[in-house]
Amino acid sequence: MSAKPIATTRSATGIPTGRLAVWWLLASEVVIFGGLLGSYIMHRVGHPEWAEAAAHTQVWFGAFNTLVLLTSSFTAVLAHQAAESGQGKKAAKFLVMTMGGALTFLLVKSIEWTIEISHGYTITTNTFWSFYYTAAGLHGLHVIAGAIIMGFIAVDAWRGRELQRVELIGIYWHFVDLVWIFLFPLLYIAK
Amino acid sequence: MSEHEQLNERDREQVEERHEHGAEHYRKVYLTLLVLLVLSVAGPFLGIVWVTLITAFGIALVKANLVIQNFMHLRWEKRLVKWVLISSLVLMALFVAGVAPDVMRHEGQNWVNVAAADAVDRGIEDEHAEEEEHAEEGTAVTVADPDAFDAVGQFNLICAACHGSAGDGNGAAGAALDPRPANFTDPAFWETRDDERIKTAIRDGGAAVSGSPLMAPWGVLFDDAQLDALVEYVKAFRPAGQ
Amino acid sequence: MVEATVEVWHAQHEVHEHHGPQGVLKYLWSTDHKVISMQYLFTGMFMAVVGGFMAYVFRMQLAFPGSSVPGFGIVSPGEYNSLVTNHGSIMIFWVAMPVLIAAFGNFLIPLMIGADDMVFPRINRLSFQVFFISALVILGSLFVEGGGFGGAWTAYPPLSAKGVYNQTPLGATLWLIGVALEFVAFLLGGINFITTLMNARAPGMKAYDIPMVCWMIVIASILFMLSVGPLIAGAVMLLFDQTLGTGFYDPAMGGDPVLWQHLFWFFGHPEVYVVMLPAIGITIDIVATFARKKLFGYKLMLYTTVATGVLSFFVWAHHQFISGIDPRMANVFMVTTLLISVPIAELMFVIIATLYGGSIRLATPMLWALAFIAEFLIGGVTGIFLGASGADIYFHDTYFVLAHFHYTFFPIAIIGTFAALTYWFPKMFGKMMSDKLGKIHFWGTIIPFNFIFIPLFVLGMGGQHRRIYNYQHFPDLAGADFQRLRIIATVALLVMLAFQLVFFYNFIRSLLRGEKAPKNPWNANTLEWTTESPPPHGNWPPDQMPKVYRGPYEYGRPDRESDFWPQDEPA
Repeated sequence: MSAKPIATTRSATGIPTGRLAVWWLLASEVVIFGGLLGSYIMHRVGHPEWAEAAAHTQVWFGAFNTLVLLTSSFTAVLAHQAAESGQGKKAAKFLVMTMGGALTFLLVKSIEWTIEISHGYTITTNTFWSFYYTAAGLHGLHVIAGAIIMGFIAVDAWRGRELQRVELIGIYWHFVDLVWIFLFPLLYIAK
Repeated sequence: MSEHEQLNERDREQVEERHEHGAEHYRKVYLTLLVLLVLSVAGPFLGIVWVTLITAFGIALVKANLVIQNFMHLRWEKRLVKWVLISSLVLMALFVAGVAPDVMRHEGQNWVNVAAADAVDRGIEDEHAEEEEHAEEGTAVTVADPDAFDAVGQFNLICAACHGSAGDGNGAAGAALDPRPANFTDPAFWETRDDERIKTAIRDGGAAVSGSPLMAPWGVLFDDAQLDALVEYVKAFRPAGQ
Repeated sequence: MVEATVEVWHAQHEVHEHHGPQGVLKYLWSTDHKVISMQYLFTGMFMAVVGGFMAYVFRMQLAFPGSSVPGFGIVSPGEYNSLVTNHGSIMIFWVAMPVLIAAFGNFLIPLMIGADDMVFPRINRLSFQVFFISALVILGSLFVEGGGFGGAWTAYPPLSAKGVYNQTPLGATLWLIGVALEFVAFLLGGINFITTLMNARAPGMKAYDIPMVCWMIVIASILFMLSVGPLIAGAVMLLFDQTLGTGFYDPAMGGDPVLWQHLFWFFGHPEVYVVMLPAIGITIDIVATFARKKLFGYKLMLYTTVATGVLSFFVWAHHQFISGIDPRMANVFMVTTLLISVPIAELMFVIIATLYGGSIRLATPMLWALAFIAEFLIGGVTGIFLGASGADIYFHDTYFVLAHFHYTFFPIAIIGTFAALTYWFPKMFGKMMSDKLGKIHFWGTIIPFNFIFIPLFVLGMGGQHRRIYNYQHFPDLAGADFQRLRIIATVALLVMLAFQLVFFYNFIRSLLRGEKAPKNPWNANTLEWTTESPPPHGNWPPDQMPKVYRGPYEYGRPDRESDFWPQDEPA
């Protein structure tokens, strides 16, 4: 690993640089998902006839996935707590559990989508389904990316290195959970 | 470097303060989140719309707040971060406010979104018909039926802009062109045209038949049978007795 | 009093002097912000040549329709559309942004705040790699079957969504991917710039001690990051419409093309401020240095800039006045649009007030800075006509709009770049540029520039609409007097392009055989001038990182003998 510049260690704002950067990243992600979900909401309100298509999303898949993500957020924050007290190996274990949650989420989603596609609800079936797959798909990409980065950080944490990054990937992970907290009612409950 | 130690001390105090609550606190938050999840799933079963909306989105907001404040530690974070997040949310509200009059509504001052209004009406009528089709065929169903080729509709959609819906070359876009678009109601036009030439002009463009390069090639849009149908429609403009 | 920097508690980290990769590898793998800035600079300059060539070709077609253009051939209508589309896209996304923000931001920010590098050097390198790929994608899109995307840089569906309409289906998708990758690169870069400025300042450098150009680049990055999100969402939707057959923007399928317009312009308008602010920042720093006078109102300028940034989010639909938005919204946007001219005008006045009473030295960078103010004013003033929705009914999509935005973009992207390059060339490359050649290049650029675009204002007022490959087909526009104006504009462009050779000659000759540059050839105050020209890896020896004692614009103080007071000189 190459050495850090002096610049990275400074903190005129009092917020550690890495954490500040993650918050700015999240701000930009808020507007990405905000734009997509805002566009969906506006279309959905204007097209009440989509209710028929929307009726076919399955709330139990959505609810189970919500449970999975909430639990993974819980393990992520426990990982952070372990890292704060310097327990790298414990933090790594919790991170791996979080990654397990990510994997479960993706698995459940794959099954769900397979069922829906086999029933004829594809991305081009109707614009409701286009939004459904696009929004959940974009979210899913963020889950995958987050899990991969979490893997690298878990390896470092196991070796007792760069423990401050556990908190950072945790913050990102909670955001991924947050997006789902809004996708769930939008696509599954108040549809 | 005593400064360094001093600052480490300050950081450590802050860290301890943040974790007064510790794992227990997180556990409580987690359980609350689960309870809220159950409530939000149960909501729709009551069947009352406003209850569903409240349980769905109201609870989402509460859950989100719990996650942000406690798991993401916003409660203990510097104010700057809160302002950054609030700004991005405000911008999203601004975006929706500025766009909704055009996208969410289908009519306004001096305008109507005919296509969207039709889609809404059609959707409500065809609800049941579509459901049956889904179950049987399992293929993508789009609103327009692709099988029947509507030559008149395609002419009015694509050709009339220049050639006019009466086929007389007086389409709105045609007025500014030089040479003017062909006038199908003019006998002189028919003296030098046959089916094949008209079809080629539509498919490959005016330049391909030594005509005006302003006539674009439309062949990518239509297959052979559709081109024939269009030619037939163009012939319908021909003055009687020719 | 010098504040202590707050060192952050980490589990462990190392900070030690280290050397970057050497030799050829340096250019592929270096994380040094100065190397990355050069990579952005040269890529941007190359793309400027590409974009300029495109302008040459389509202006030749407009002046001499149907004739074979030397170096290109006959221009077909489809090729014309591709040329104007890619000229606009390339100039904004692959020239203005990489040069003004990425190149100068990367080079200047760490140096001006007294840091040894950006806070995330490897993300910095990644951002350039992603950007480079995006440049390859957009260039590649020009050579695929069907040619480069021809649906205008605004890419409105259904023209941009259906290949049967734009006739460049493969080019359209590649264009979209290229733009998306560029967005990702600048999101990554933006996070670096913002965090670096906020956190990595030298001890003693308070917020109001930061040079204006750094503030401007960072505020621009914030504007970019907050505005590009909805367009990224929209671009994904457009990509699916193009490739999968979804109907996000197809009314027949329940979508809405106006949604794209809103998504695009919600970003598109803040985007113009994203490129404008760095250019103004560059102008300010140069003016203070060459007027030997303190900036007229630092805080005023800073707060005005923030206000401009905030207001820039409220004006976007003035690009859509006649495209079918609700007229009542048009009223709202007209008011906000006319309002935003106020803070921008104020920025101009503050710069002029700084000049007033100064001891002005007309070196080449100062000429460029002054030209920026004059030319940008013309652009800004003509924007007011367009902001009035009633007048815009006539002006929309005419050459009046085109001349307006070239009178703003050209000062931003071209004048701003030359100002910055001639000013910081000694620091970047360790050599002095020839001032004489610089002046010849300056006049040979500015004078023809006006002869290109003033005729276009006239043509626009005469009703000439945009994006038409041959006006001879329109009787009202085909007259000889109009054609004469088109020819004047084209000839002026040829003259201007010819004078750019003077710049390239000056640039290369100075690099190879220029006079060696001292640390501080302009007697300026800011921190980059306290280190070697060019700065070594790490910018300063680790035990000699600068400390800051005052603001950046302490020029011409009556109580001092010297007419400048570097920021790092102890009181």
